[in-house]
Amino acid sequence: MKKRKTIYSLLLISGVLLISACSDNKEYETAICTLADISGTYAKEKKGMVKIIKAGIVPKLVPGDSLILMSIDSNSFNEENIKGKLKLDYRPSQANQQKLKFAQTLNDFANNESSAKYTDISGAMMLCSSHLKSTSAGTQIMFIFSDMKEELKPGIKRSFNNDEFENIDIVAMNVIKLNEDSANPQVFRSRIKKWKKRVLKHSAKSWNSSLDPTEISDYIDDKR
Amino acid sequence: MSSFYIWPDMPFLSIAVLVAASMIFLYLARTPLHLALDNLNDGIAGGLEKTADWIKSVVLKMQEKNRKVLLESNIAESEQKIAQEFKRVEASYTKHLADYPALHLKLDENITSIDADFKECGQVVPEAPGWNDAVESIASIKGSASGDRVIEKMLKELHKSAIDGEKTAIAEMQKISSKRHKILSSMAPAWKKILKAMSEVDTKISLVLETSGKIEKYMQEYEKVRSGGDDTIDMLSSKATKLFIFSIIVITVAGFGAFVNFQLIALPMSELVPAGTRVLGMHVSDISALVIVTLEVVLGIFLMEALGVTNIFPQIAGLTLGKRRMLLYAALLGIFFLASVEAALAILREHITATNAATTQALAGSVSTTAGVEGSKITVIGQATLGFTLPWILAMVAVPLEMLIESSQHVLSKLIILLVKLIGYLVGIIGHLLNTLMKTIIHIYDAYIIIPTQIGTLFKSKA
Repeated sequence: MKKRKTIYSLLLISGVLLISACSDNKEYETAICTLADISGTYAKEKKGMVKIIKAGIVPKLVPGDSLILMSIDSNSFNEENIKGKLKLDYRPSQANQQKLKFAQTLNDFANNESSAKYTDISGAMMLCSSHLKSTSAGTQIMFIFSDMKEELKPGIKRSFNNDEFENIDIVAMNVIKLNEDSANPQVFRSRIKKWKKRVLKHSAKSWNSSLDPTEISDYIDDKR
Repeated sequence: MSSFYIWPDMPFLSIAVLVAASMIFLYLARTPLHLALDNLNDGIAGGLEKTADWIKSVVLKMQEKNRKVLLESNIAESEQKIAQEFKRVEASYTKHLADYPALHLKLDENITSIDADFKECGQVVPEAPGWNDAVESIASIKGSASGDRVIEKMLKELHKSAIDGEKTAIAEMQKISSKRHKILSSMAPAWKKILKAMSEVDTKISLVLETSGKIEKYMQEYEKVRSGGDDTIDMLSSKATKLFIFSIIVITVAGFGAFVNFQLIALPMSELVPAGTRVLGMHVSDISALVIVTLEVVLGIFLMEALGVTNIFPQIAGLTLGKRRMLLYAALLGIFFLASVEAALAILREHITATNAATTQALAGSVSTTAGVEGSKITVIGQATLGFTLPWILAMVAVPLEMLIESSQHVLSKLIILLVKLIGYLVGIIGHLLNTLMKTIIHIYDAYIIIPTQIGTLFKSKA
């Protein structure tokens, strides 16, 4: 009788240990948010950035990962700015089909010629941050395809929370130089520096503004 | 430091007075301090020495125990080998000598037939009638040489009859000879049969003797192990170490094989077992793949047990032949099933990889070509073959696994003994060093109080 009790206790302990050893897959997943600037001069870069997303980011996604495409326009903190969402199935065959389908969404976005007068980068970043956090993914990356020159519409106010970008790696991709930047590189440098300071101040995990499109795959691998 | 000075303005004088005072104090307290230092030395160094001795005795006990275990396990192994060989001899006798009575009967029949034929051949050929003696008798009659016509006629008749008789005898002899030759030629097949039967007997007996020879060899080994001499222990220890190293190498190679096997099925398993949870940081699909690989090893162990190659589970060894055969077929069927599943998964893996590559190409905007179709077929066949073969190879791991378990017992205890021995030596060395240090401290102490000691000696000698 005593022996049987011991066996039952051992089985119970093993069961509890096994259940506690089980963990959610989310902490091993990667959530990526891509912000595409469609305002002003950057709107011309749409096709180029879609190509980068298709060739550099989408193929690196593995089953369980998610990708959100958002546009940066005059008022970016709006659900309508979400142009596409992708959450890959755990079956590789399904995941491949989803990737191909999302590529079509990206193509549609590239072919859409709409553009915006103002550039609300902060609003898009805030929206992106809230979506990334909602995924609870272990790795959260935000790619911003923009010239990083913010021009807010009158009446729009943007301020980040202290933990706005907590656990998020932020990359400013394909930052093109404007005419004023070419005239005075310090303008460009100080703009980028200002962004770096701002995002790091609001708990961003890292900031990168000099990533080459060919290095995206390696960057994602490093962050996983 | 200056706070210790008696006269802070005169540090040198203060130090000199302090030194002198300490010398006098240490001189006066020499005996109790010497005793204290000696006791401390005895306590520490002696304690360490005793610890070293205790460790040595523990090492000796462990060595003896290890020796006994090594001998006992080898005795048991030898006994098992001999018992197995006896079983083989029994089987060999049953198999090879079962038809010996029939063979012997066949041999007897052939010999009897030859004997009868031989006897028949041995019949004496009838001799020609004794005409010669009759002619000789008539020739010696008086007047036979004088030309007596009667005798001459009689002799001529006799001569004629003799020639006729001789002809008849020769004809009869030729007839008998021919018959004998016929009998002899009919004996040849019987001789061949005997030769063949004898050859069969020779082969069977040699096989039986060969098996018996092995027993003799094992018996010699058994005797040697039982004697338990130092040479035997060394030989057994070396054998166990060799087995351990060899089995470690084989198990490592098998481990790499298992890793390749796992990699081959992990990806397609994610297609079959999609899950959003992990256990100990591993995908459930990866765990499923690992379970398949482990099952192959387990089935391999049962297969080898059922075949009698390994002896890990005594319960299996004690099963009846029929039950063992059932276990053997079940294990074979299980491995075949898993190997087939793996082959299918390997094909699926190739399909997934190809789809992944095509998707990446499509996303990059490049047009996929059909140039790799032939290559992919070869890859599919290769992966499927690998998927089917690896489980069978992994099934063999039971043999080195048993070797590892058996030999590790001795090798590990040898390593532990070595470690304990090392600790013993270290404790001994520390004890010796502390003993030397304490003695040196006493000598330095004596050197420090040399002036009051000398003065004391001078006073004592004057007194």
